[in-house]
Order: sequence, then structure tokens, then C-alpha cells
Amino acid sequence: MMEVTYLGVIIKAILILAIISAIAGFGTYIERKVLAFMQRRLGPMNVGPYGLLQIAADGIKLFTKEDFIPQNANKLIFMVAPIITAATAFIALSAVPVFPDFTIFGIFVPSIAADVNIGILFVLGMMAAGLYGPLLAGMSQANKWGLIGAARTAAQFISYEVVTGLSLLAPIMMVGSLSLIDFNHYNETHPWMVFMQPLAFVLFLIAGFAETNRTPFDLLENEAEIIAGYATEYSGMRWGMFFIGEYANMITVAVLASIIFLGGYTDLWFIPGWLAIILKIAFMFFLMLWVRASWPHVRPDQFMWLAWKVLMPLAVINVVITGIVIMV
Amino acid sequence: MMSNKTTITIDGIECQAREGETILNVARANGIFIPAICYLTRCSPTLACRICLVEADEKRVYSCNAKVKEGMNVVTQNEAILEERRAIMEVYDVNHPLQCGVCDQSGECELQNYTLELGVDSQHYAIPDTKRGTADWSSVLHYDAGLCIVCERCVTVCKDMIGDAAIKTGPRGGDPLDKAYKETMPKDAYSMWNKLQKSVIVPSNGTEYTNCSDCGECTAVCPVGALTEQDFVYQSNAWELKQIPATCAHCSSGCHIYYETKHTSIDNPDEKIYRVKNEWNYQSLCGAGRFGYDYQNSHVTKDKTAFDRAVAALQKADTIRFNSVITNEEALMLQTLKEKQGVKLVNPEARALQSFLRYYGEASGQGIYPDDFKTIMKESDFVITVGAKLRNDNPNVRYVFNNIQKMNKGAGFYFHPVGDTLVPTFGKTVATFEHKPGEEELAMYLILDLFSERDALPDSVRKTIEGYHETRTKTVTEKVMESVTTTEVDKETGEEKEVTKKVPKNVEKEIEYDHNGLVEALGGDAENFGDLFDKMMKKKESFALILGEDLYFHPRAENLARLAALVETACGMKLVMVPPKSNSLGVALICDLDPEVEGYVVGYNEPGDFALSALGTGDLDMPALNQQEGTLTNMNKRVVPTNAAIEYGGYELNDLMNGLGLGKTLTVDWTASLPADRGFQAIDFDALPNGYTNDGQEHRGYALAVAAVQKNESKIVPFDESIVLEGEIAYRCNPQRQFNDFTDKSHQIFEAFALCASPERAEELGERVTVEFADGSLELDVVAEERISGNIVEIPDFRSDKNIYALFGDNRYATVTLRKGS
Amino acid sequence: MSLEQFKNRNVGTQNYRMLDLDPTPVTGWDKFKQVVRRSLSLELLVGLKVTLREMIKALFFGKMHTTKYPFEKLPIGPRYRAIHEMKRLLESGHYRCIGCGLCEKICPADAIRMDTHYGENQRKEVSEYTINFGRCIFCGYCAEVCPELAIVHGGRYETASEQRASFSLFEDMLTPIDQLKNQKEFPGYGSVSVQADKNIKKTPLAY
Repeated sequence: MMEVTYLGVIIKAILILAIISAIAGFGTYIERKVLAFMQRRLGPMNVGPYGLLQIAADGIKLFTKEDFIPQNANKLIFMVAPIITAATAFIALSAVPVFPDFTIFGIFVPSIAADVNIGILFVLGMMAAGLYGPLLAGMSQANKWGLIGAARTAAQFISYEVVTGLSLLAPIMMVGSLSLIDFNHYNETHPWMVFMQPLAFVLFLIAGFAETNRTPFDLLENEAEIIAGYATEYSGMRWGMFFIGEYANMITVAVLASIIFLGGYTDLWFIPGWLAIILKIAFMFFLMLWVRASWPHVRPDQFMWLAWKVLMPLAVINVVITGIVIMV
Repeated sequence: MMSNKTTITIDGIECQAREGETILNVARANGIFIPAICYLTRCSPTLACRICLVEADEKRVYSCNAKVKEGMNVVTQNEAILEERRAIMEVYDVNHPLQCGVCDQSGECELQNYTLELGVDSQHYAIPDTKRGTADWSSVLHYDAGLCIVCERCVTVCKDMIGDAAIKTGPRGGDPLDKAYKETMPKDAYSMWNKLQKSVIVPSNGTEYTNCSDCGECTAVCPVGALTEQDFVYQSNAWELKQIPATCAHCSSGCHIYYETKHTSIDNPDEKIYRVKNEWNYQSLCGAGRFGYDYQNSHVTKDKTAFDRAVAALQKADTIRFNSVITNEEALMLQTLKEKQGVKLVNPEARALQSFLRYYGEASGQGIYPDDFKTIMKESDFVITVGAKLRNDNPNVRYVFNNIQKMNKGAGFYFHPVGDTLVPTFGKTVATFEHKPGEEELAMYLILDLFSERDALPDSVRKTIEGYHETRTKTVTEKVMESVTTTEVDKETGEEKEVTKKVPKNVEKEIEYDHNGLVEALGGDAENFGDLFDKMMKKKESFALILGEDLYFHPRAENLARLAALVETACGMKLVMVPPKSNSLGVALICDLDPEVEGYVVGYNEPGDFALSALGTGDLDMPALNQQEGTLTNMNKRVVPTNAAIEYGGYELNDLMNGLGLGKTLTVDWTASLPADRGFQAIDFDALPNGYTNDGQEHRGYALAVAAVQKNESKIVPFDESIVLEGEIAYRCNPQRQFNDFTDKSHQIFEAFALCASPERAEELGERVTVEFADGSLELDVVAEERISGNIVEIPDFRSDKNIYALFGDNRYATVTLRKGS
Repeated sequence: MSLEQFKNRNVGTQNYRMLDLDPTPVTGWDKFKQVVRRSLSLELLVGLKVTLREMIKALFFGKMHTTKYPFEKLPIGPRYRAIHEMKRLLESGHYRCIGCGLCEKICPADAIRMDTHYGENQRKEVSEYTINFGRCIFCGYCAEVCPELAIVHGGRYETASEQRASFSLFEDMLTPIDQLKNQKEFPGYGSVSVQADKNIKKTPLAY
């Protein structure tokens, strides 16, 4: 165990920022491609080989688009809201171990930028703070669709926060730590958490979809009902930041699920740890796209009913049973 | 005439009719449909198509020909009649080219309509076709014999209405009909076909070209696409054209016309007039009206500097010179200018009419002549013209004169110094007098002599007339029947027999007769005049006198006006006058005109120091009469509306009036302000109708009221021989289709600005002459005009820049010197 | 005509299958049971299976649907109703249009205009003919009304242009004279009707 230096942390931070941002952009390309394949289409093909440079084209487009602020909007909040979404998403990643530790040019780069001992709590907290992005955006833009989007944001995020927290409580009780590093180490000596806490995994997955605002739970910006919800009046890079935030959150959730439930970056048979976690994250990401291609939206009332009457009680029961098992 | 009302029943509907009317006209007036192809309302029945067959009191008659009888019961269709009509239509369709797709008449074709109406859906008759080609009869007429159904409407209208009789039926060279048809076919259809198969239409002078006035009325009446205007052939489908009801502004007849407009071409969306159409059942056009339509002042924009200069020019103007090609509204604007700014208004032709009307008013107490040409045409059977060049001054007056001869079994006197070869052909009882210029008063005396009760005349006049009469003897040849007895041998029996036969023999005999010195003085045959006149007067009931421009431009105009008033009262004649130019009557009634041009002159379509012109040549552009709304006063004393057919982008006279602070919002806002004391009515322009009803009633604008004026009795002055012109005489007279600068501008009117003379005279003069007047001279080409006879030459005045009025002065005749060459 | 045929709707054989729907749950417990039943019956995974199957088919078994449009084009039917074509007479090669103006009249979008004149051979000739494809609604009336089978719709469907009011001239639409033998005609509007021979009436032109 080498010493954690500032330089190493900075390298890690830049790495996360760069890679995650790139992956977020690349994620849009992947998403379009995967959705296209599942409908037996080709997806983007014309910009660059196999349409790879489509992201660049879209990026240029987003940067050069007119930055439009509605006349009656609360301008400051309107401008700040997308930054909140993007920032919280990246901050949350700082307490998530992404790769195993490694050394470069003699500098030790830790697996985690900030190994705070309440890692999970921090991540969940940051993701919860991300709620302010869509909420403020929707409320500030002086648009009824935005307002409905904001209202749905509040209801959806707060409800599913409960489910996320309760579903993770059982694994936390088993590991006895809030640090994600400890979770990873726990996996080295025990079977994957998913086999011990399958219900918790399912609950976390559902809640994760809801918190990242993904189909079938993308009620915040369900275009069939409320145009683009909280993002109705946004254009250009401001809208792009919501987009990046969403994809960063998807990655966060994918990483959390991989580390907590799927064995993290421990070596898997012959597969080295760093590759194993990439594969796991990739699978989780693909799962999100796959679900989007396959399943329809749910109604808001069904959605809230699911959270409070099904998932939350199940999570509580799971915690109680886990506690009894541990006590015994 | 016959105005007794009778009542007849047509298809169970009771109809009121005048005695002597035909069943067809009564049916049309009452909105009952009887098909008719060859019949023209104001012409004699041709009986070519036989489709107007009806049953009157269970007897088959042709409704265009059969007169109504009291209590007649007419059935317009039953099974047998329909069968006959269907057969006739089938025959018309035999060998008619199936080229409706390209035919100009398609969509307004009577052959199409009646074929459909009578349900012809199969053909039972056939005959080999004959090759029939196309021909250009004149510079404007195009005839496609292949399409012709030989209904002879063109022949009829040319003879009965126009008077040219320039076309007739000629041999087609087709096969004779199969004899078997005679038994199997309906009778009328067979005889119609028999005639159709033998004929086409050809020029009646035996050449390939018609010698006519190029009026194009034959193209208007043609029910199919056989006769068309050359320039319109294959230019546009009838249904693409927009019809704009208007009034022709070329002569004082003020005929009702439709301008037919469409976009010019694919890449030019501007409206263009493609042709002019008329309601040919009620109104016939002349060549100028039909072909002189593209005289618009095009591509004009609002030139503010020119406008400002025009306003300034009007402010400082001493005189405004204008002509009669102007609307009533514009005339009223000019009169307003005179009242407000004291400018002089100069318009020689309208002023001449104005003075004549004033003299006439003083003598008769009426502000305007009391009758109109339409009534004369319908009712009169004896028509006299004095001082009107019938063929040139106003074509519709000529049609009236001709139609009276043809339709009313009429007679006519034509007094004019310039000999005309066409007028005598109008009827057998037309007498022409080629008197000397200046002898018009003698003509009036002759009329008084022949038609008045002597007691009704003032003593002086009576004495003058009686002074011309004396009893002379003449030798006449009489036919006497003489009994001759001869001995003949009967061929069969060989017996000799005495037979007495009556054999005619000519015997010469001296008789006494009343020698009329007036007839002799006017160039007539005094010896035989009495007999001729007796023949002319047979069964005549309604008399009409038409006065022309010669009398207004006459040194003794005042005396002539008094004589005219006397003729009206003493002879009980209808009296009409031919206004000299387009709207001369309107101008004469609206404006106070001055005799002489003075100081700074603004010309409106006339030369001047500042020229307002619709010809595109002036200092400020004005709209031509096919580009503006307004009213015209025509010779029938109707105030008729005209509409703009073509877009105009520049300033109008009303804008100039607004520039002077005297204008109204629109030109037509002036319509209701036309002077009521001259017979006009305060009716808004938009309320004026412009059309005809089915029975031929004219609903166009309104009729002028005849205003009463103060009578001012003054004596008729005796005839003075010193005003009679002798020697080389020129007559101010336009070619047949030329009236003004605007007809000259139209591309289908070719008559040149040249001296016209009889062929013999033209040969003497050579190709070009210099005409020397008392003050000034003029160099002109010489054109031989077949229809002129005598020595007087005609000099046109249709171009305002030539200032012909100044050369002639106050007379339409001038003694001139003609020098050959230049 | 009676209303019988409108009322009797049992036309043909029907292969409809009714959906196997459970009664709508009323109480909360019923709803919970339904959720449990549906969740545990793994219906959701069926959905995932379908999409995955299609993806595998597309990627590995060459079942991709996409046609790369500007580079690849699908064949279109011979009676496709796109940009008009002007036909020529097969025998003489002269264009068929006689300038009758019926297409101009019938066009509901007022897109057709033509100029005609009196030709040298005494026939009506078309000087200029345009269809404004900015206005044409491709209704096919012009082809239907044409008495000479001269104007028909063709297969040129790419009508985008830099100018809003893009015109097409007579020459652009006319079959090129060297392509005359390739000129095709199909049944339908713009060709002789199927019953033409039957419908035509004999006229007694016996000579």
C-alpha cells in the first residue's frame, strides 16, 4: 500500500472527469447504435467511420447553438440549474472507486479519488442533491411543461431515494462499512453480494433507473406527455449539461451496482480486475439501453404506487430479515 | 308601328307578345328555351338549321320564321320534334372534325352544346368527307372550312346588319347523298343535310379575299370555331379568359363590349387583352371596336417629378386642349378646373356639337335630340341621313341604316357630297344624292317638301319650296297590250285556225310632271324622282332623320339646326344626331368650351406646352380608356359605364386634381356629380348596370333626360349659294376602322394616315401628294378606296399631332390644291 | 340499393383472437397480487428477449432493414406518381401534347400553365409549358384528364430544390427522342382504359 499523494488524486480526478465526460458523450452514440440494432436499423453511419464522429458533430452543434433564455424565466437559476446536475453527477463519482490502484511515472494513483469512510452515503447524498438540477430548471423557466417536470422531479427523486437507501442498508449491514473499498474487499472473500442479497439488487436496480431518469421511469421529460419536461426551454450546451449529467449518473449507478453487488474490480478467474469492472459497468450500461428498447413507460400514479406500496415495504422486510440472519 | 299586344301560350305558359313578332323571340323574352343555330335576333331568318322546329296549333312551323297569332298554342318539344332535332344535330356532327381539344370555340361552342343538349350519343349517318382547307380572308379574318357547319349566320349578319354582304355560300364539291337516306331520315334533317353537303362559305366577290369593312362580326356570330380572328387562333382556351364588361370608346356609338383578359404568358403575369367580344344578338361591333383593343399605356410607374411638373403646369395653364376620347368624369374634372381656375377648355369637335345643340335647343325647346338610334332601328321604315359620312363616321349608324332597309322593308335617302358605292347596295329603295358641299340646307328643304304638310310650314319656307317646283313634260315609254290575230295550223289535225293573242308593245308618250328643282340642285334625277319616291313611300309609317358631323361644322349650322327642328315638328320625324367623336356628346353637355387656344396650353391626349398623354408620348402618362373606370355618353343618349381591363401603375387625372386640392378619392366618385340640369342623374358608378336581358332590353347605365331649354324663335334664313364650295375639295374623314390615336396604336388596325380617293382619282394623283390649304399644307400618301366615287378626296384626322382641325377650320370641307409628288 | 350490404359486415373470415385479460384488480391486495404474479412470471424478460433477438438477427444474420438512401435506392412501382413525364407518339416521335389546356384547367393547385400558338402546319402548337412543382400536389388529375395520354406521372421523386418556386419545362419532362423506344406505358391513368375496345361505338363509316 503506497501513500496517496495530491498529485495522484489530481490525476485520478482528471482521469475520471475526462473519461466519464467522454464516455457520457460516447454513451449517446452507443445508445443510438444499440437502439438502432434492436430495431434492426443501422443507426448513425455517415459522420466518420460507422458514424463514430457523430458525437463530435453533435458536440459542435450543441456548442454553437443559440443559448436561449425565455423572457420570463428566472435567469440566474435558469443558468445555474444545468450546472448543478452536471456537477453533482461528477462529484458523486469522486467517492467511487473505478479502477484498481496503479502507478504511473512513479506516482501512485489510488482507485478512488476520495476514499471517504462514508463513501456510499456521500454518493447517495450527491445523487440526491442532483435533484435540484431538474427541479430548479423546471421551476425557473416559466413554462407549464417545465413546472410539471419539476413537480415530477421532486416526487420521483425523493420517493426513490428511500428505496435506494433501504435497499443498500442490508448489504451495508453485512459489510459493516460505508466505504466502497471495503465493499470491494468484502467481495474478495465472499460470494458476490448479488447472490446473498438478490432482492436488494433488484430493488437497487429499479431505484437506480428511477434516479437516473431512465426509461421506463423517465417521467421528468416524457415527451409524449409533457414535451421535454424540465428541459423544455433549454437549448445548446445548457441542455447538453443535463445530458452529460444524466449519462454520468448512469455510469455512477453502473459502477455502484458493479462494486456493491457484482464483485467490483476483484480479479475474476483469469480476467484481471480492471477489465472485469469495465465489463461489468458496460453490461450494466447496456442493460439500461436494452430496457429502454424493450419496455414502455409507466404511468406516474403506478410509479408512485410501486415506490411506496411495493418497493419500500419489500426493502424494509429485506433489512429486517438480514438483521435477524446476522443476529442469529 | 305594330304595337298591338297579343297573347299566346308556349308550353302552357301565357306570354304577352307584340303582333308580328316571331315565336322564337317571344319564347326567348319569356325565358322559354327553343334551340336555334342559324337565327340571329336582329336579322332575317335564314332557315338553314331547321332546329327551331315547334308545333303551333298542331302544325309544324319554324319558330324563327313564324309570326305569333292571337291565342296561338305552341309546343316546343314532343317526341317527334326531338327526334327531328336529334337527327339534325347528328347530321351536323357528320364529318365534323373531332378536334375540340384544340378548337378555339371549345367550351362556348353551340355545336358542342346542342349535341349534348339533344342527347346525340351515336351517329347513324355517314358520307365520305371532302377536303376543306383554311383561308385567311382578310388581314383579320380566318376561316376554317373544315369546322364550318354552314349555318350561314355570318352571311346573314354581313348582309342584314353590316351591309357589306361580303360573303355567301359557295360550292363544297361533296358527294351527293345516298338516295336511301331520303326514305329513312327525318325530312328536315335530310333537306338540311342535302344543302349542307353542297356548300361552304366563300367571299362573295369571287376572289379569295373579302372586300369588306373588316368588322369581324362574322367571327362573333360563328357558333363553331370556323370563323375566328386571325390573331386569336390557338392563343387561349375560352374558359381561361376573364370577361370584363366595358364600353368601346372609339366612336360615339359607345358599344357594349367585353374585354377578355388573361396573363400574357408563362413568364409574364401581367393581364393582357386577348380579344373583344360583344353581345352579338343585341349589339354589333365595328372593326375598330373588335380589333382596336391593345392601346393601353403599359409599364407606367408613378413618376413623382413629372407629376409635380404636371400640377405646376395645370396651375399656370391658360388653356387645356383635349379631345373626345375622355370619360364624363374627366370632362367634369376639366370643367371644375375651368370654374375654379378660369382656364379655357378647347375641344373643336365637341364645341361644334355643343353649338349645334344650342341652336337646335333655341329652335325646338329641347336641350338634346329627342330620339335614339335603337328605337329608330326597331321601328322606322324610312330613314334619311344628312351630313353624315355613313360608312366612316359611326359604323353603328350605318348598321341602323342598313338594317332598316333589310328588316323593316324600309327606304332611305342618303345626302352626302362624297359619293359612296356601298350605301346604294343596302336596299332597292335607297336613293343617294351627291350634292355639292354647302347645299345641306337644300336637302333639308327637300325633306320638308316631301314629308311635311305645307300648312305647317312658315310662309317663307313654303314659298322657297314652292319656288323650286314647276310643271314640265317628259317622254315616257309605256307598255300597251295590243291584240294581234294570226292564222295557225293545228299540227295534229291539220286544221287552220284564227287565233287572237295579246302582245305587249312599247309606246312613247309625252306626259306632264311636277319638276322638283331641289332634286335637280342636289344632283338627283328630277325627271323620274316622282315615280321613285312614290315607290319608296309605299306602306311607310315611321320616318327618321339622322344628322351628321358635316352640319355641326358648317357655316350655316345655326340655320340647319332650325331647319332640323322644323323637320321634326312639321314632318313628325324622329330626329337623331351623330356625335362627331367618342364622347363628344358628354363633353358638349358637361363642359363650357371655348373657341380658341390661348397662352400656356396643357394638352390632354393633344399637343400642348405640357402634354398629358395616354399614348405614352407625353410629359406625364395618363391611363388609356381600357385602363380606367368611368362613364361615357353615347349617341343613344345613354350614360354607360366602362371598366378597367388592364392594370395601370401611374397617375390619373383625379390624382392631378388632388394635387391641386380639387380631387375626390376615386375617379368614379365624380359620377354622381355629373350635371343634373343637362339630363345626368346622381347615381353612383357602382350602381350602374352594364348588360342586356334575354329579350334584348338594354340595361346599361341610364338614359339622359331630355332637358327643356328656353325657346328663342328666330327666322330661317334663305339659302345662299355663295357658301357652296367648288373646285378641288378635301373632306375631313377617317378610314373605316380609324377614329383616333388609340385605334392607330392597336396592332390589328392597319389603315394608314393617308389621303383616300376613288380609284380613278387616286390614279390621277399618283402615290404621294401635297395638299395645300388656305393656311398650311400637308404631305400624304394616296390610297385608293374602292367604295368612294366622285372627285372629293378624304383626309383623315385621327392623329392629334397632325393638327388637322386647324387646317380645316370650322368646316369639314375645304378647297385645296393638290400637287403630285413631294 | 338497400342498406343490407352496409349492415351485413360479416365479410370474409375473421382470425381475431381476444386478449387474455384478467379482471381489473379492485382492492389493493388484488393489485399487489397482480404485480407479484406479473413480476414473477418474468413477462418483462420476454420483452428483453425479443429486442435482443432482433439485435442478434440484425448484426449477425444480415437481417438489417436499413437502405442507405442516397447511395442505395429501392425499386419503385411502374405506376408511381411523381414528377410528370411528357410522352411522344411511338410512330412519329412527335410529342403527343396538343395544347388543349385541360390539365391547366383541372389542376387544383393551379400549377400548370401553357402558352400556345398557331403553328406553321396550321395546327395548334405548344410554345411553352410549365408545371410549378412548388405548388403541384401530385393528385394526378392532369394525367387523368389528358385526352392524348400525353402527360403521365413518372418515377422521378426527388423534388427537393434550392429554389422554392422550382419550375419544370416541357423539354425537361419530354421523353428524349433517343429514348423513344424505351418509352413505356402502363395501365391506369395515362394509358388506354382496359375496356376501351369494348366501349368504343362503331360509326357507320362504311366507305
